[in-house]
Amino acid sequence: MFFRMIDKDRLPDLVRGLAAEFEVVGPVAKGDSFVYAELEGPGDLRLDFDSTLLPPKEWFMPPRERIMRFATADNEVVDCEVDAPPRVLFGVHPCDVNGLQLMDNVFLGDRPDPYYKARRENTLIVGVNCQPSDTCFCNAWGTDETHWGFDIFLSDLGPDYFVSVRSVKGAELIDRHVESREITHQDTRRFQEVTARFKASFPEPLDTSQLPLLLDAKFDSPVWDELGERCLSCGACSMVCPTCYCFDVKDVLDPDHAGGERVRVWDSCMFRDFAAVAHGANFRESRSSRVKYRYYHKQWGYLSKFERVLCVGCGRCTRACLAGINPPEVIAALQGAMSREEVAAE
Amino acid sequence: MADAPSVAIISLASDFGCQVQITNIDPGLLQVLGLIDLRYWQLTSSGHMPEEYDVAVIEGAVTTDEHIELLRRVRETASVVVAIGSCAVTGGIPALAGTIDADCRFAAVYGEDATVTPGLHSPVAISRYIDVDYIVPGCPIDTTEFLAVLGRALKGLSNGMPEQPLCASCKTHGNECFMRRGDLCLGIITRSGCDAKCTTLGRPCTGCRGLAPDANLEAARKVYAAFGHDFDEVVTALDLYNTDREVCR
Amino acid sequence: MIGIDGHVHPEVETVNPYRPHRARITSIVDLTDNEKLFELRLIDEESRAEFSHSAGQFVEVSIFGVGEAPISISSAPSKQGFIELCVRRAGDVTGALHDMRCGDIIGIRGPFGRGFPFEQMKGSDVLLVAGGLGIAPLKSLINHIHDERHAFGNVTILYGSRTPSEILFRRQFEMWQHRDDFDMVLTVDQADETWTGEVGLVTKLFDRIDVDPSNTYGAICGPPVMYKYVIAEMRKKSIDADRIYVSFERRMKCGVGKCGHCGVGHQYACVDGPVFNYWEAMNLQEAI
Repeated sequence: MFFRMIDKDRLPDLVRGLAAEFEVVGPVAKGDSFVYAELEGPGDLRLDFDSTLLPPKEWFMPPRERIMRFATADNEVVDCEVDAPPRVLFGVHPCDVNGLQLMDNVFLGDRPDPYYKARRENTLIVGVNCQPSDTCFCNAWGTDETHWGFDIFLSDLGPDYFVSVRSVKGAELIDRHVESREITHQDTRRFQEVTARFKASFPEPLDTSQLPLLLDAKFDSPVWDELGERCLSCGACSMVCPTCYCFDVKDVLDPDHAGGERVRVWDSCMFRDFAAVAHGANFRESRSSRVKYRYYHKQWGYLSKFERVLCVGCGRCTRACLAGINPPEVIAALQGAMSREEVAAE
Repeated sequence: MADAPSVAIISLASDFGCQVQITNIDPGLLQVLGLIDLRYWQLTSSGHMPEEYDVAVIEGAVTTDEHIELLRRVRETASVVVAIGSCAVTGGIPALAGTIDADCRFAAVYGEDATVTPGLHSPVAISRYIDVDYIVPGCPIDTTEFLAVLGRALKGLSNGMPEQPLCASCKTHGNECFMRRGDLCLGIITRSGCDAKCTTLGRPCTGCRGLAPDANLEAARKVYAAFGHDFDEVVTALDLYNTDREVCR
Repeated sequence: MIGIDGHVHPEVETVNPYRPHRARITSIVDLTDNEKLFELRLIDEESRAEFSHSAGQFVEVSIFGVGEAPISISSAPSKQGFIELCVRRAGDVTGALHDMRCGDIIGIRGPFGRGFPFEQMKGSDVLLVAGGLGIAPLKSLINHIHDERHAFGNVTILYGSRTPSEILFRRQFEMWQHRDDFDMVLTVDQADETWTGEVGLVTKLFDRIDVDPSNTYGAICGPPVMYKYVIAEMRKKSIDADRIYVSFERRMKCGVGKCGHCGVGHQYACVDGPVFNYWEAMNLQEAI
């Protein structure tokens, strides 16, 4: 890693420079919120965004994606093309950079997903630091910072950016498109001060101690019944989650039925048919079992494979859930929860 | 087209909007017609219903004795019945008539002395009278979904209708939540599958696809209350397409 | 770290785990009113030569325009060049498959998952217990043991069906009841006039078998409700938890641990299973 300083008013040069070579996607305003969208110019870019409605995952695994075209007559694959234009995701918060790393474990690890891989390889990530909002709890998982998974990372020091450069390509682009200078000891100091203020601005971190163990020990806790009663089973939490990767696959026939396309769509374990098999058995019919599974998988199932929790504390599900179900409260409830036996004994 | 399944498109009480939607299948309409033997299409034909057909596509709500009789005949004739549009699937807007006193409704429109045709009923979904094999909900139907369901019906597959509410689909479009902005949106209880067209275009969901089979109505009631919508307001909104709550699920 | 390498992504065409390989249906046998046995041969010679599975693994059957369904392989790994799938008409894909004819072409992905530890089982007695369609994955193991029969001790097969007409591979298994090298017992919940054999749940058969607990492997597959009771019987016979193997049915959609549908406890049935030993399965929430 090496570092550079860029004056804030020079940043549009970088955006314009990148736009000549790449599709540049960044946070832009939408109503009272922000979304990632292709920038028409540097002026669209809103690096002061708090969060985006959808996480960056949509640029690597779109909500609906054609994975192949087929011919029905002889059950043949016609083609498996992937649309992966050279792209820069400009302005990704540390939580979301972490989110992509967690997606990478699934899609780039054993038997890689070629669609995700193609887009991941064709996308540069420009990270940017942030300020915690009232729904953020990234400090619980250490995902309030990131040390890899980006090409360039911008830390806002007021008049200028402290720029961490991770990749050769990132370095090349900085050199080519924007005036920058070497960092000084003073710059590093200022960077540390900003970091310290950022860390201090979080409330007490969530108590996540022994979560995997508690999920098993309190698997039958009435906490889950209560959550099941509240859950709308709408799946909004999964859609807005930067780490929910589950998908369904459907065939869509052309009007003449001679061919069609196999499409992949985002799915949610909150949906009733998610764990149902063809001849009637449904392994998670009840709402409570579905809500529980979401937490069980995020805090333990994924962790058992990749040694990390499948949550980056971005707070999107907290904002999306109209029923008010959110990880900090669920986890706190679980810490304090009684098992069914304990409840019965009272 | 000797082997092509024969199809009849039949209309009960409706504004023919869903049949018009079928004409909007562009550019696929002619290709679909290549798959089937279209024996009858009420919108485009002044002829009579054929004696035999394999698939009946029915639009509209049931409002008369005649309709009931027709449906019974259709069910005996067709091996597959497809209900299309809110009117046929949930009773839709016509079923609103059932929420007020029928006599007063006629008097208000036609005057106190008007005689009412005998055999009129409060409009209901066709599944109130016959078994329906496939549904294509919505007001109007979505042409892509109609093609998909018709295709599934022709191939003998399951209906493939989503059971969950709309929110997930709405989220994938990066929409702001109407409920969070203070608007009443029926998306949290309405069947998904429309690709959230209305909410993406800037209008809250009005529930035209019927209640989602997996909607958590008790939880939704509390959510509406928490967001400042009293129960009457929700009921009024829901009644637009969903007066018959049971059939809507 | 990340290379921008232009638009070319050949792996989408070449090493794409979602891309089905075409296979021809070379034989269809009606087993019951609702189940058929399909023999499939991959059309591409290279794929056919490369294909090798272990007993307990599954493939995704792919019929374009309908979808995909996970089906366990019933034939033995020792049979090269073709696979057999025992398929119940249950959903859209299996329904479409049942409607197909010999010579028709479908798609196959796989094999996927972890099967039974065949090599590890060698030298031991094996007690196989199947209920209903659960015989399908066990059939592969049974066939494999059959082909290397000398490598195993006593082999006992207990197979329960609801009615005699629902017994899969009935003729073969009825013949096997007379073999010396397999101890084969069939039972049905409800007998009919053709039935002279055992009546009652498969667990009832445990009274009549002798098990050497120090040297026996158990293998179980059946409807979800069955596992608890059969495992209890095996445990009563003092078979160690880590020598009892169970095969779970879940909604394996992608087969490669990505789509999330087959979660069982903290694992995925498609990559961590579908075969687990009971010690592992005990630690999987909601598995049994």
